[in-house]
Amino acid sequence: MNNPSAATATNVSKIYGHGDSEVRALDNVSVQFETGKFTAIMGPSGSGKSTLMHCMAGLDEMTNGSVTIADIDIASLKDKELTRLRRDKIGFVFQSFNLVPTLTADENIRLPLLLGNNKGNEEWIQKVINTVHLQDRLTHRPSELSGGQQQRVAVARALASEPAIIFADEPTGNLDSTTGNEILSFMRKAVDELGQTIVMVTHDPVSASYADRIVFLKDGKIAGELLQPTPELVLDYMKNLGH
Amino acid sequence: MWRIALKGILGRKARLVLTSLAVILGTSFLSGTAVFSATLNRTFDNLFSDVFRNVDSYVRSTQVIEADFGAEERQRIPVELIDLVKQVPGVADVQADIQAFARIIGKDGKPLGSEGAGPPTFGGVGQEFKGALWTISEGRFALGPTEVVLDEASAKAGKFVLNDKVKVVAQAGSREFTLVGIASYGDVRSPGGATFALFDLNTAQEFLAKPGFIDDILVSGDGSLSDKELATAINAAIPSSYKTETLTGAQITKETQDQIGTALSFFSILLSTFSYIALGVGSFVIYNVFSISAAQRQRENALLRAIGASKKQVTRAMLIESVVVGLFGSVIGLFAGIGLSKALSALLKAAGIDLPTGGLVVPSSAVVNTIVVGLIVTVSSAWLPARRAGKVPPLTAMRETAIEVVALTRRRTLFGLLLIALGAATIIAVTSGASNKWLGLGILFVFSGTITLGPVIARPVALMLGKPAEKLRGVTGTMARQNSARNPKRTSRTASPVLIGVALVTAVAALAASIRTQIDGVFTEQFKGDYAISTDARGFGGLSPSLADDINMLPEVERATGIGLLTVKIEEKGQYLTTINPATVEGVFDLGLVSGTYADLTPETIFVSQQYAENNDSKLGDTIAVTLADAQVKTLRIAGIYEFDDIAGKYTVSRDLTKDSTVINFDLGVYIKLKSGVSDQSARTILQAAVDKYGQGTLLSKREYIDKQSGQVNQLLGLIYGLLFLSVIIAVVGIIITLLLSVFERQREIGLLRAVGMTKSQVRTTVRWESVITSLLGAVVGIVLGVGLGWVIVYALRDQGLSSFSVPVGTTVSILIMAFFIGVLAAVYPAWRATRVNLLTAITTS
Ligand SMILES: Nc1ncnc2c1ncn2[C@@H]1O[C@H](COP(=O)(O)OP(=O)(O)OP(=O)(O)O)[C@@H](O)[C@H]1O
Ligand SMILES: [Mg+2]
Repeated sequence: MNNPSAATATNVSKIYGHGDSEVRALDNVSVQFETGKFTAIMGPSGSGKSTLMHCMAGLDEMTNGSVTIADIDIASLKDKELTRLRRDKIGFVFQSFNLVPTLTADENIRLPLLLGNNKGNEEWIQKVINTVHLQDRLTHRPSELSGGQQQRVAVARALASEPAIIFADEPTGNLDSTTGNEILSFMRKAVDELGQTIVMVTHDPVSASYADRIVFLKDGKIAGELLQPTPELVLDYMKNLGH
Repeated sequence: MWRIALKGILGRKARLVLTSLAVILGTSFLSGTAVFSATLNRTFDNLFSDVFRNVDSYVRSTQVIEADFGAEERQRIPVELIDLVKQVPGVADVQADIQAFARIIGKDGKPLGSEGAGPPTFGGVGQEFKGALWTISEGRFALGPTEVVLDEASAKAGKFVLNDKVKVVAQAGSREFTLVGIASYGDVRSPGGATFALFDLNTAQEFLAKPGFIDDILVSGDGSLSDKELATAINAAIPSSYKTETLTGAQITKETQDQIGTALSFFSILLSTFSYIALGVGSFVIYNVFSISAAQRQRENALLRAIGASKKQVTRAMLIESVVVGLFGSVIGLFAGIGLSKALSALLKAAGIDLPTGGLVVPSSAVVNTIVVGLIVTVSSAWLPARRAGKVPPLTAMRETAIEVVALTRRRTLFGLLLIALGAATIIAVTSGASNKWLGLGILFVFSGTITLGPVIARPVALMLGKPAEKLRGVTGTMARQNSARNPKRTSRTASPVLIGVALVTAVAALAASIRTQIDGVFTEQFKGDYAISTDARGFGGLSPSLADDINMLPEVERATGIGLLTVKIEEKGQYLTTINPATVEGVFDLGLVSGTYADLTPETIFVSQQYAENNDSKLGDTIAVTLADAQVKTLRIAGIYEFDDIAGKYTVSRDLTKDSTVINFDLGVYIKLKSGVSDQSARTILQAAVDKYGQGTLLSKREYIDKQSGQVNQLLGLIYGLLFLSVIIAVVGIIITLLLSVFERQREIGLLRAVGMTKSQVRTTVRWESVITSLLGAVVGIVLGVGLGWVIVYALRDQGLSSFSVPVGTTVSILIMAFFIGVLAAVYPAWRATRVNLLTAITTS
């Protein structure tokens, strides 16, 4: 944790298509995500939030610019090294379909570790499992879990390998607000008590207010930042931005 | 609905290709074997009409003994008939014809042609003749006792040129000749890959057959008479005491063509049987593909239903699709089959069987059959999935993911168990006395029951088989194991083709192993000597009886005796008699005499088996009338009864029985017992020298000899394995298709796994192990069924003297190993496809 930045994007551009049909999903974006902080990314639909996350997590290739994760320049990595980086250094939570249906909750939580033939830190894993209240659901398969439980398993998986950074793309988008808040406070706890670094995409000002900092995107560019947000501040800020 | 169906087809080209692939494979074997059989038939028809084109009449003996399997032994005719025929008005030219065994020895001392297997090796007469079979392409025909002419292919294979010395082995022993000519047969260098050594008439009689006798006479007319008139004239000119008949060229052509046709029809039936088995296996694959694609289209179909399509319409759309796929696949299969039959011909050519080229024959029946059968199989395989597709509730359209509904009903389990119980009961009934013909039904019940139970047993067995994968490969193994068990219906349908193929292979192997054990046991029991000489003449003569006598005289040899075979007629039926030398047989070859002694066997007596005596109520002193091939009737008195009839059969006579007839007697094996104290090394040298002197037969130790006898089963086994290979190919394609469809279905899952850190090689491992588990599932259940089936078949053959059942352990182990590699092989492409899954589309599509 000597570097204050867990992930850095420098002048990242992402262009889809050619010529007339060209879409600039990201336009020269530079941003840093601090270690031990909870950052939210907000912006209108189509503003490039998911694209930014995918590029920074090594899930998609950028057209220009560079990204470092835990001091590693990911542009220089081959597919295999990139896969290992995702496995060992990055945690993921997606909006839906987060879990492998044939594996139990426990196996899903340990999936990145198992894939790396890595035992992991058992004490840590138990702590994670306890924090998400999944102790008595470990042998269940995803089809036997509620949507909220499934997302909790996904968050636990993202944490289990103690990654340098966790990317979450609308992790509560499919959940009711009570369950969503439960997940969000858990993510908050993971940052505060477990020292994790989380970057989360969201549309919801309330969800965003759980973060330490909000980065706003518009038309593929950084449109502004907000520190220590509350839902009211976020709404105000968005009004100023949009209209 | 047609529009929707066609859109459905064209919208998913990959699915069309995959579904059609199964149809194409199945139908191509069907059309391939039909075209090949028809072509082969036409080829031989043409060959024989060529051969007899200039033959106007054909004279031969009327004395013929027809034995089992369509073999016939026709008596020879005296050579002086040639002169008689020559003088008949209207005859322009004649040729004496002899067809006998002769083997050409190459310059390296090894015989040309394959030993024991492959096309026959002939000797015959070569001479100038107007209706010539053989035409000289180099040199001239043989004129004296030291000259020979070879067919072009043999001369080339043996690198012989004119004036070379050529060693030939035939009835009268082994001799060296000077090559004076090279001949070709019609427009082929050597018909059907057989080898030919041609001599002048006198040499041929004495060296190949029997002095004074020939097989038949070919006549060419001078044109003054019609073929029919000529034949009548010749027939009238030959005294009836010669017992001959004269056929026209057209008659002998037709007869020969029919004979070949009969022989080939056995082959055609075998080929088409196995191509139907392959198609049956293929129908599982077709059914599976339709089921999976119906499942994957559940939402689409539900949407159609939701917006107002009726059940019937949805079903019909799928059936229309199956008609298109069936037609498309069958037509391509038809052409692929034509290509396949070309490949088969090329394969035969490479194996040395050079058939005259005559172009492919594509009978219209094959065209119609292929397309109709292909269509029926495809549409009926699609029937159930189409019905099920129609039943999709419209609500499914709103649901998250559409995975095949896997409801394993209690009804299925009960029905499967009921079928198996019925089958078992039928088989038990047979073993306790009911007729053998119920066995087939019993087997069918057990097979259908197992296939019905397939989805029920697939899950537990796949989970069990997957255990090692989990131990070996960690979480990727776990996923492979779970994937193979997650949809038991699909897994069992995928494994079924493997199951059927493996069950058939195992059953055949079990049968073969049992036969081998049996043969082994029989020879070990009866053959008391140390060495044996075996012949490869196969139906064309054998070992000269004096070989056994000569060896018997050797100081190192305690005793040597020859065993032969004689074709005769008993009560108007062709029968084989075993011939022995009563003076030397004792202590070397044991018949297990229960009454009488070997000394009682004279030219006036016969021994019969105990079984025969019981069945016919015969006792010592009864008589049996035996008609020899030269029409002599001998009335033989039963003077002994023996127990071991596996080799000797029902009747055994003295080799002296034929002393005063024109029938020549050969030995098929010589059995040798050494004096004690003679070393193996020196025995082999001495015996080999004796064998070399005759140039006939192969010297083998007792063990080698017994292995060779039981090894003959392997040839048949090889053929059947080759044919079952067709089914294996389809099974592999079935696994490939299912895996591809599963990979397609699990794109999101694979994308997720890749995102959280599964490497490409781990993705491949998962797919590969799933494939291996599926393949092993089919193999394991197939082996269990196959061993059972083998036992049932062996049991059914107990009346044919098969008394022991052996489990083919070696084959079983190799099948398991093969199943493993089939799994690995089948997974190659699907695994590669799985690594190509676009990670982003997988995680971003909701
Ligand atoms: N594969 C693609 N091909 C072409 N254009 C794309 C592709 N993926 C995204 N885009 C475009 O890039 C832009 C950014 O998309 P992105 O998914 O990052 O938006 P987002 O901010 O995540 O939106 P949302 O809030 O709706 O998820 C959009 O205009 C989108 O149409
Ligand atoms: Mg998005």
